Amino acid sequence: MENNENLTPEQEPIEVPAAETPAPEVPEEKQYSSLRYAWGAFLAFFGISSKTHHASKKRGKLVLDIATYIVLLFGAFIMVYPFWWMIAGSFAYTGGTVQGDALTSLVWWPSLSTVNANVPGVNLFSNYIEVFTKGLQNQYDQNGNSIGSALFHPDFNYGIAVLNNLFYSLVPVIVGVITSASAAFAFAKIEWIGRNKVFFFLLAAIMVPGPSIMTAQYAMYTEIGFIDNWTVMVIPGLFGSIMTAFFIRQFLFGMPTSIIEAAKIDGAGYFRIFVQFILPLAMPAIMAQGLLSFMGCWNNYVGSYIFIRTDSIWINLPHAMYLMDQNYDTSKAPVIAASVVCVLPVLILFGCFQKLIIGSLMLTGSKE
Amino acid sequence: MEEILTTVTADEAVADTVVDDSDASAAEAVPKKKKRKPINQQKLQDNLWGWIFCLPLIIGTVWFVYSAFVMAVMLSFSNYDMSQGKMLGDVLTHLADNVYSEEIFITDPITGRQSPTGNFTYEPFHWYVKAFTWVAPNTEGLHEMGCYLFNTVFYMIGIPIGMILSMFFAVCMSRDIKGGNVFRVLYYIPCVASTISVVYTFKIMFDNAGVINQLLGSDLQWMNAKSGLRWQDVFGMETASGAFLTNPYWCQGIISKLVVVIMSVWKGLGGTIILYVAGLSGVNAATKEAAEIDGANGWQIFWKVTMPDLYPTIFYNIVTSVIGGMQIYMEPVLLFGEGINTSGYVSLVYEYGLHGQAVESPGKNPSAGAAYGMILAVMIFVLTLFQFWLDSRKKD
Repeated sequence: MENNENLTPEQEPIEVPAAETPAPEVPEEKQYSSLRYAWGAFLAFFGISSKTHHASKKRGKLVLDIATYIVLLFGAFIMVYPFWWMIAGSFAYTGGTVQGDALTSLVWWPSLSTVNANVPGVNLFSNYIEVFTKGLQNQYDQNGNSIGSALFHPDFNYGIAVLNNLFYSLVPVIVGVITSASAAFAFAKIEWIGRNKVFFFLLAAIMVPGPSIMTAQYAMYTEIGFIDNWTVMVIPGLFGSIMTAFFIRQFLFGMPTSIIEAAKIDGAGYFRIFVQFILPLAMPAIMAQGLLSFMGCWNNYVGSYIFIRTDSIWINLPHAMYLMDQNYDTSKAPVIAASVVCVLPVLILFGCFQKLIIGSLMLTGSKE
Repeated sequence: MEEILTTVTADEAVADTVVDDSDASAAEAVPKKKKRKPINQQKLQDNLWGWIFCLPLIIGTVWFVYSAFVMAVMLSFSNYDMSQGKMLGDVLTHLADNVYSEEIFITDPITGRQSPTGNFTYEPFHWYVKAFTWVAPNTEGLHEMGCYLFNTVFYMIGIPIGMILSMFFAVCMSRDIKGGNVFRVLYYIPCVASTISVVYTFKIMFDNAGVINQLLGSDLQWMNAKSGLRWQDVFGMETASGAFLTNPYWCQGIISKLVVVIMSVWKGLGGTIILYVAGLSGVNAATKEAAEIDGANGWQIFWKVTMPDLYPTIFYNIVTSVIGGMQIYMEPVLLFGEGINTSGYVSLVYEYGLHGQAVESPGKNPSAGAAYGMILAVMIFVLTLFQFWLDSRKKD
């Protein structure tokens, strides 16, 4: 096979005159035009067999691998490029007279960055410093009168938004994942009357679309005093979520029941079994679901936008970023720095736990 | 058969003796009681702890989802304007008194002055009727809900594009190459990023002088939510004025809508790729090999062997993407602001329910929002049922 592949291109010049003049000396082989031969050789080089040339399978796989890499790298570039753009943009210098241009025309690296701006008081991280110091201040003129409407709480700044966001994503996620896991344990491993009915009753709740009950929730939260403070962002999350419970339940089904039986015989109650056996054993699933819901809570813009007033001190990080965008009129590089602050923790977290998260998603994908 | 019967009768006999003369067989009854008691205790424990472990989730779901849903249904027939200072509890418990009503006015034929009569017309379906009949202001009689629904449906063209692209990339990644996992991680990055940061980045990238136009060498008005689809606009010779009179509705802001489609495809690709990679790894390798031996080429194997095995994943994906696609709100609003050119249907819920745009009652009016929300819920439910019906028909 290898010889055949090597020989055929060499035969080509010999065959060319034979194709032009009628050549009856090789009657069993079909005659092809020189163009057809060249095309066959070309295809064979890329691993595709044709009537004139036979390509080796190895060559075919190699070529296909290279093509796959090119396609995947191109896709990966498109996926990652906006993040690179974001990071590069956060170092652009958009103060001074020519405002915004360094950012708008940015492709790889800003033409006027904070490094080469040569403006006194501007260093590499000055955009980030501005985000945490001046980014969310109400704008005042020299006499101390506010320009436009006072948008923010006087004590509010981006650092507080970060702390708020940590509070909003850590507390409900940790407590919520544990309550979800306890429900999952009850659904998977305890036989009790009405188990399946309760499970389907809860599962039916995911059919209710969020926006259609949103206004009623708003009215309810207003009535019980949840609006404009931390409660609305924390308390609903403490009760766990049905989807998290569903996935942990799937994981627990794969666990042997004999451990629980053994613990029961040794005299352990269900609470002790849950704390000492289920939580440690189901840790991979619990961690993965917790990380996913942490990311969801960290990026929860809509909740803060609807339920918390803009002049409250309790607004969260994405909402604060949005408000910062409203606060600047032209100089946008600090806002890009703010969006990097908003995205980076989640990206780092994802980078650290990607195996766990992707593995969990794959599992849900194969089970649906 | 007979043996079993005899044993049963023997057992009954023992039980009878236990009940009848307990004194005589006291020694026998005590171990029997001990045997029974732990079983009952265990069942009690099971039931008790089952409910206790589920209780938080049940409370949360009932409180925040089901009660809110019931309230939304009730509110959608009432007129609960939050600026009037009514209590929600009163409105819900006295729903009959709070049904949407309008006072009837009498016009004096001589002075032309209107005077109230004290009589009311009750219209429980007022908000629903309004939703279906309301004409958007300043638009020459365009039907408002229809326009917003058109935008939502337009954004759904991202679903088939995303399906095909993610299938393509998933097939590439499932090939036997080194570093397939790295690509999976890279493609998933946009899914975990905060939407608002991404929106803000895209906003500047799609600027007239931004990266995208530089790389494409074009001069498209991506961020002008009113730019049309005339050739001179596409090639940048003339900026569309955006007046409703010059452009037909369907092509207004069509380039801006494409930004939303591009963004949602870009952001959602990673998740579906992971689902497909998981599905592809579950495809039966033996069937594939058999098909290969029988002389099927790669294309035939893909369509005849892989696709049928992958069908459940694809179906699940379509259902969830349609449900998610109907609820699109944040991306177009953050990019272009709320408006009839670009906003999805859910914007109506927010505009009427929380931003106070209902003309009859300009405060925050959860009733109006709830009515729009109920229509949305019904639409999503019908769409999902329709897809399941198509699925069942395919199987027959």
